[in-house]
Amino acid sequence: MENIYKPPKQKWFGQAFDSIFILVLVYASLMAPLLLDSDDEVINPDNLSVQVSPTWEALNVNAVEQQQWEKLGFDAEKAAELINKRFDYTIEPISLIVTALFIIGYFFFMLKVSKKQYLEVIAEKFGSSSQD
Amino acid sequence: MNIWDMLSYAAWVAAGLFLLWIVVDAIKVSLTYDEDLLMSSREGLDELDPDQAQSHAVENSHAK
Amino acid sequence: MQNNTTTESTGTGTHMNMLKVLTPFHVWALGVGIVLVGEFMGWNFSVAKGGAYGALIACWVIGLLYSCVAMIDSEVTSTVAAAGGQYTQAKHIVGPLMAFNVGLYLVMAYTMLEAADALIVGDLMTAMAATFGHEGLDPKPFVVLTIAFLAWLNYRGVFTTLSLNFVITIIAFASILVLFVAVEPTNPGAVLQHEGLLTDLPYGWIGVVASLQFGMWYYLGIEGTCQAAEEVRSAGRSIPLGTMGGMMTLLIAATLTWYICTGLLPWQYLGQAFTPLYDAASILGNTKLQVLLFVATMFAAIASANGCINDAARAWFSMGRDSYMPSFFGAIHPKYRTPYRAIIFLVPIAVSFAFTGLLDQVITFSILSGLLGYTFMSLNVIKFRKMWPLGSIHRGYVHPFHPLPAYTLLALCSTTYFATFLGYGSSLLSILAFYIVASIWFTVRRYKFVKRGEQFTMSWPRPKGF
Repeated sequence: MENIYKPPKQKWFGQAFDSIFILVLVYASLMAPLLLDSDDEVINPDNLSVQVSPTWEALNVNAVEQQQWEKLGFDAEKAAELINKRFDYTIEPISLIVTALFIIGYFFFMLKVSKKQYLEVIAEKFGSSSQD
Repeated sequence: MNIWDMLSYAAWVAAGLFLLWIVVDAIKVSLTYDEDLLMSSREGLDELDPDQAQSHAVENSHAK
Repeated sequence: MQNNTTTESTGTGTHMNMLKVLTPFHVWALGVGIVLVGEFMGWNFSVAKGGAYGALIACWVIGLLYSCVAMIDSEVTSTVAAAGGQYTQAKHIVGPLMAFNVGLYLVMAYTMLEAADALIVGDLMTAMAATFGHEGLDPKPFVVLTIAFLAWLNYRGVFTTLSLNFVITIIAFASILVLFVAVEPTNPGAVLQHEGLLTDLPYGWIGVVASLQFGMWYYLGIEGTCQAAEEVRSAGRSIPLGTMGGMMTLLIAATLTWYICTGLLPWQYLGQAFTPLYDAASILGNTKLQVLLFVATMFAAIASANGCINDAARAWFSMGRDSYMPSFFGAIHPKYRTPYRAIIFLVPIAVSFAFTGLLDQVITFSILSGLLGYTFMSLNVIKFRKMWPLGSIHRGYVHPFHPLPAYTLLALCSTTYFATFLGYGSSLLSILAFYIVASIWFTVRRYKFVKRGEQFTMSWPRPKGF
């Protein structure tokens, strides 16, 4: 058991600072996507502008669906808003590659640093040589 | 003032009381007990590990 | 209420440890309690992403993901029985920086979910007031009251907290069964209209992949059972029992929920509904059922927030105990034996998350933190089996077919990242940026306060290959 690492004691001010720091970081990352302007959801413009007052038939709603919509208190006009809402799943290859690299890089970096720190832990706990 | 407004106020007051209670209790605990004792919990003391639980107990009796 | 405050007989006189008072039922209540709210709301966004059938595929594919999670977690936790759960596992098996990240995933995932749950309670109060003719009731006092009351309960002892969770979770689960019986499943076409309502995949298979992200709602949080490890009697047996039992409950609840809702609601409505099960009950025109589902939705949200406070506080406490986070938080209450400072600290944070108005962002953060945690689990168990092969240490439970579950989990996680990329690409990047900056901060600033050898607390032999 040679060279046991003795950590310094942290004063209350440092403790408070660290607690607040991590919170600021969380809020920053919650706000960031708003600034980056993520427009993932788009309303299909063809359907919307053409139909001024849509009917169930025009919305391609069958009899059963119409009955359930009406039970929920929707008329064709109100339902049209929900029915015409479409997601856009076009994939931009560059941003996909960047995201993938980001995730892989993150795990790679984390595992590498962890291993370095872990070797230190094992050395202190079990002695520095790996022979039994 | 109808029942819903009253409920809202009641909810604020009740929430305040619950929070006040735990904060006051936490302060009282900090003043009454030694910080080292409060921090003395040990990870991994478990019946899965009878040897370790025992060795910790021995350490304690030495520490006293 | 005070039966858990008797003094310990284990002879740990100078150690203030948590009390071992919980049973497998509490473990079940903790796991299912956190998750079940996802059946009452949230899962249905997967219908908007990929249609009704897409949501069913997501339900089962993600069910497979979580079955892997539950098996892997049961094995590792039945061996590493500590309050930090996956954080403590990471510390022993992968290394400190990974452990720090895993601890943060846990705290963030649970605290943010807690905020969302409390918001649900507030919104339900507003909705109830509106049905009684009082429009525009402010939900805020009820949000704060939910968090404050549950924090108080958690502060006063884990036994009462999780016993309450058991009762309200059972009621919520039973309400799904009652609703299932009420829609006459043996007589299709009478109440349920699957034939008329189920459509083809509206976006094709890409929509199915996209719906995986919200398919996580069916099960998100079941892995939280591990956080009870330090307080449960015979953890090696109880944790696997409670977790597996919970997973089975959820698979049943998820499938029933899908079946009921898709048989009553048009998919475009279902895809954006706020309380789908409640809506399904309301169009049946049975007031009793409607009231039951309203109460159950409320209970599910409260149970979830309650479990989240329990788990987030234990993760934060464990990080404090090792000085990964300020050591001030590593304290145990001398009377109630709870991580009381961690519980208090997280109250204002949960409230602030609830009031940011960024619910979408907050929920994505929560789901993604969970997903990062599952990715870790697959890597973790592969290392675990390599470093301490079967037979080298005592395991309470050994999961079958290793390494198949681990690789399945890794593949499903990658697919779900892709699903998140499709819907919330920029949130994904900003959340990853958060964890990267936090990691650098930990390595450069925090790690110097951590004792090195001492954080390895298990009495295992030296790992193979180190």
